[in-house]
Amino acid sequence: MKINTTINGKKHCLDVKANAMLVDVLRAAGFKSVKFGCGEGMCGCCAVMINGKPRNSCITLAGLAEGAEILTVEGMGNPENPHALQQAFAESGSTQCGYCNPGSLIAAKALLDSNPNPTADDVKDALDGNLCRCTGYVKRIDAVLTAAKAVKKTSKTVRGKK
Amino acid sequence: MLKKLTRFYYPETIEDACKYLGSKDEKTAVIAGGTSEALRQDNSIEALVDISRVKELNHIRVDSSSIRIGAATPVQNIYKSTDLKGPAGELLKTVAGKIGSTLLRNSITAGGNLAAVFPWSDLLPAWLVLDAEVVLRKGKPKRTVPVENLLNEKPAKFMAPDEIIAEIIVPTAGKGTGTSFCKFAKTANDYSMITVAALISIKGDSIVKARLALNAVTIAPVRCHEAEKMLEGKKPTAQLFAEVATAVAEKTEVRKDFRASKEYKREVLEVLVRRSLEEACVRAGK
Amino acid sequence: MAKTTRKTEEKSVKAVNAAKVTKAAKAKKETKAKKPVKAVKTAAVAETVSAIPVSPLVFEKPEKFEQVNHSLTKIDAMGLVCGVQKYVADVDFKDLLHIKVLGSPHAHAEIKSIDTSSALKVEGVVAIYTWKDVPRVVRTTAGQGFPEPSPYDTCLLDNKVRFVGDRVAIVAAETPEAALEACSKIKVEYKVLKPVFDPEKAMEKGAPVIHDEKDCRVPIPIFYDPKHNHCSHVETAVGDVKKGYKNADYVLERTYYPHYAQHCPIEPHTCMAYLDEYDRLVLRSSTQVPFHARRITAQTLQLPIKKIRVIKPRIGGGFGTKQEVLLEDVCGLVTLRTRRPCIWALTRAEEFMAARTRHPMVCTIKSGVKKDGTITAISMRIISNTGAYGSHALTVLSNCGSKVLPLYRADNIEFIGDTVYTNLPVGGAYRGYGATQAAYAMECQMDEMAEAIGMDPIKFRQKNHIKEGESSPIFKALGEGREGVDMAIGSCGLGKCITEGMKRIEWDKKFNKPGTGTKRRGVGMCCLMQGSSIPEIDMGAVFIKMNEDGSFNMLLGATDLGTGSDTVLGQIAAETLGCKLSDMMVYSSDTDMTPFDVGAYASSTTYLTGGAVITTAKKVRAQIEAVAAKMMGEKLEDITIKDGVCYGKGRKNFVSFARVCTYAMYEHQQFQIGAIGSHISHASPPPFSAHFAEVEVDTETGEVKLLKYVAGVDCGTAINPTLADGQTQGAVMNAISFALTEEYIFDEKGRMLNPDFGNYKIWSTKDLPVIDTFLVPTYEKTGPYGAKSVSEISINGALPAIGNAIKNAVGVRLTRPPYTAEKVLAALKELKSGSGKTVTKSKK
Repeated sequence: MKINTTINGKKHCLDVKANAMLVDVLRAAGFKSVKFGCGEGMCGCCAVMINGKPRNSCITLAGLAEGAEILTVEGMGNPENPHALQQAFAESGSTQCGYCNPGSLIAAKALLDSNPNPTADDVKDALDGNLCRCTGYVKRIDAVLTAAKAVKKTSKTVRGKK
Repeated sequence: MLKKLTRFYYPETIEDACKYLGSKDEKTAVIAGGTSEALRQDNSIEALVDISRVKELNHIRVDSSSIRIGAATPVQNIYKSTDLKGPAGELLKTVAGKIGSTLLRNSITAGGNLAAVFPWSDLLPAWLVLDAEVVLRKGKPKRTVPVENLLNEKPAKFMAPDEIIAEIIVPTAGKGTGTSFCKFAKTANDYSMITVAALISIKGDSIVKARLALNAVTIAPVRCHEAEKMLEGKKPTAQLFAEVATAVAEKTEVRKDFRASKEYKREVLEVLVRRSLEEACVRAGK
Repeated sequence: MAKTTRKTEEKSVKAVNAAKVTKAAKAKKETKAKKPVKAVKTAAVAETVSAIPVSPLVFEKPEKFEQVNHSLTKIDAMGLVCGVQKYVADVDFKDLLHIKVLGSPHAHAEIKSIDTSSALKVEGVVAIYTWKDVPRVVRTTAGQGFPEPSPYDTCLLDNKVRFVGDRVAIVAAETPEAALEACSKIKVEYKVLKPVFDPEKAMEKGAPVIHDEKDCRVPIPIFYDPKHNHCSHVETAVGDVKKGYKNADYVLERTYYPHYAQHCPIEPHTCMAYLDEYDRLVLRSSTQVPFHARRITAQTLQLPIKKIRVIKPRIGGGFGTKQEVLLEDVCGLVTLRTRRPCIWALTRAEEFMAARTRHPMVCTIKSGVKKDGTITAISMRIISNTGAYGSHALTVLSNCGSKVLPLYRADNIEFIGDTVYTNLPVGGAYRGYGATQAAYAMECQMDEMAEAIGMDPIKFRQKNHIKEGESSPIFKALGEGREGVDMAIGSCGLGKCITEGMKRIEWDKKFNKPGTGTKRRGVGMCCLMQGSSIPEIDMGAVFIKMNEDGSFNMLLGATDLGTGSDTVLGQIAAETLGCKLSDMMVYSSDTDMTPFDVGAYASSTTYLTGGAVITTAKKVRAQIEAVAAKMMGEKLEDITIKDGVCYGKGRKNFVSFARVCTYAMYEHQQFQIGAIGSHISHASPPPFSAHFAEVEVDTETGEVKLLKYVAGVDCGTAINPTLADGQTQGAVMNAISFALTEEYIFDEKGRMLNPDFGNYKIWSTKDLPVIDTFLVPTYEKTGPYGAKSVSEISINGALPAIGNAIKNAVGVRLTRPPYTAEKVLAALKELKSGSGKTVTKSKK
């Protein structure tokens, strides 16, 4: 069957098997940042934003994404022009093997989108579904708080210019 | 692995959803968040009816007498709701926040959590202590039944194939009522080993209404009617709560699994029931 | 086939002899090695060099660090967070086959027959292989130096299965679904054999023999007795423990049971295979040991090494489990037989059941102590359960002694260890590597001893721990598969780790103050040491070449598995060359492109390969200086370098690195500025650490809440402090959930019941206690810029520190981790009823 979705701002019409999981469909479409870790929605490395909400793509049937807007980290930024969260993750030492980063960044972005002034506890709550075996989470939590400040600063400057 | 699945339907109204579900030509099933592993492993389903875009199923409405939650509402929306307040609203928020993780809570829906009846469906004991009712729709026609009835008969059996859970209605509780919830698990996002929900209303110096429900420790969610009777009309004392807790622990049929021994779970259950009642009582006084 | 294996053995003996020859040659000061090399014309070889390089014993300390000891951003970080860095599965191939391996449902069985006919009829199935279809080559899956100190007891496929999940058949199909369906249609007739799960029972007379095949053997002359399930044995003694116990005021004995655990890299083991344009087999693998993977795959598939290339792209964590050659042989077989590319990624359940685990152990410690705090004797008796195969059986076992016993002074020490086969999941390398298990037992015992003599546990440790300039006879007595290397401690910051950690956990305020009520609090601590590389065994090599913009390509065999070693080694190179990290382009772990390195294990990469980086960068720097001197007409000894610029005397003349390379490449006596270098270490200096935990125990439910965890680490010079700190935090977090929630639960048939993240609980952000980590800088002369290892040590702390904190809070000593609420409550009840005495304590 065919599904129509918007991935990272671009429209895609994808030919998929009805029982395909979104993670496989996205990876086949070239969005390799979406990782496979457990296949049961427990580790979070496959998380993508579906209509503004971070969800596990490994247990989400691709058919559920019909008409949806999907965001992966490729759509958040690139090495030349990274998102404040990507910048903060890279600079803080929050990335070791990096395999869990795309999912964690998506979850972190969802947090900042809904709460621009998070506390450390808010961050812990928002990232509770993204397992990381390398870093021990401490630096990641700091990175999200740093990025929140950076996002606020840029949005202020933009507003100031207006 | 949904080997027979060939298509999805995306109804926008409850009527349309029910129509697809009632189809005699193909085997259909309802899907919203799609987290149910049982559903993903089903090899007889031919078409899935995605109810996540039915607007009338996705809402949290609060008025002076009740809280109404649409079946397709992600439990994360309950957890993060700013409208839910008071003893009932706070209880629902607390419980919703203890389900899975953020990523799962965005997929798990209020109705899915109710229909699937897993031991770790944490909202179920909360619905029971809140005397929640569920609105079932079969196209236009609807019936409103207590959640307890639905659970007693298992939703899959209770409901017709073309019937869906539309809404859950919870009466709000006023002053003098306190609620509490305990989840016992290995880690924060672990499956529950024991869940206990309690509600206590106090007038003067006696308990006028008591509700107590359990899940996870039992095979299916249970409301502890006998315990409630032991509490109602009595003065809330530490001793009473301890006695009730002992009675509940003794009478509960504890589920066997590999995570902890039955004996141990029974012991902890007693502690948690006592603590839940104490906490609900303290909150009732506030 | 038998012939081939025998040949390999002969080779191994030769290799050992060769090693001896190397040593002899070194002793003769390279008199014979001065054979002129052909390329004498180039300026670089003008100096007299030996054909066999000698690794330096010490590295000098520069006045100031420019690039190392700075928290520079990891060079691959931006690519990783933007999702553009590629892991194994992130490339596309046309006609890719998907592999699934049918696992055994039985813990111990003979395969009587296999019928694949209906499985082959499944649409999309391309090939199925059983034991009948592949050559029988016994070897080890342990990615260790050659010849490996692990038994050759594993085949590609066998006609016997030895644990639930053991390989039965390989299926290759067009889709993963087809492969899976075919697996379900393979009909296997088993003769189920009696299994044995308890390592102590496995050693008893009449126990089922797990390796009754005739061809299992050890490739080096070490103990091996498979007929009694006895996989390895280590025994060493210093002084006379009997005398030690006689002189003690107290003698204590207790047995501890560290448990099974899995590494849980978020990326499961993944391997892709394809044939390149020269019809060579390319393995794109999530491996920590690309060169060992190439060698072992060649051995298994009976190919010459030159036919195989192993590429390690980014990998999603390893922690030791990817030090195992688990997938490469299967993928290689499928691609060679079908001539099609293929991929195999383990499922999470397979990762738990059929990849590798931490060896569970039975650790019995007996120790004697005097009232004044002198430890008179320590006996450590270990029974290690290696599961169905003997991967790392000997070395994990010997590390129990060698990475733990030297920490405290004692005149009389005895170590006896045995590794035993059982029909359970296979043990392997796991961060900590034996030290985790033994440090748990030892550090609990330290608290018990302190309590017996009424001394503060910290004072007791301060009195006894090893200090700078001291040595331990254990260093020499226990090596890896052979005798160890004698050494004295050159750097030790443990004292500072302890005092600073005490402050941060507020020890004096909290120790022995459990409070009243149902929830009691306590603090506990432990001291740790590890090693840095395997001395005089492991080798790392590096190649650096210069480009005409003044940048450098550095090609490393060393394997960055997410640790940041590409960055750390880049910093060391930049420091030595006199340029910035941003001018280092690091490419690692490709057996065609990069020089050899043993790989990422034994806490070696920074310490060992870092040495090779300095050696190589120095050679390159000498070439740059020589060209610059010539260009400027200055004397060689007057040349100085700073930030990619060469200066003449008094800094009047200068030429940039870009000019130097351009000149060397295009203008006069043209040559490529570049060099290759290798390094072995002659010591394995221990990093040191002190860990502290504060817990709150719910005495009604047994729940343990970890409130705070403090870890101080002396890793010498931290080449990149942020990354070193990240290693500590990650190891601490892993150790904490290992101590409190991670466990393998088996049914009576040896099947793991919880092989998924839903039921095997590793911690998430919401479980996080306050974590406070700090580094205590020291300078280790034998390490590059003073560095020692940092990656493993901190995984050893949580079991004893939390165990000691629980004891401090509620008075129970838990010996069977993880410390689940159920076990804590049971221990509390035992304590109440007075039946909780398991320790033999005698006062004289």
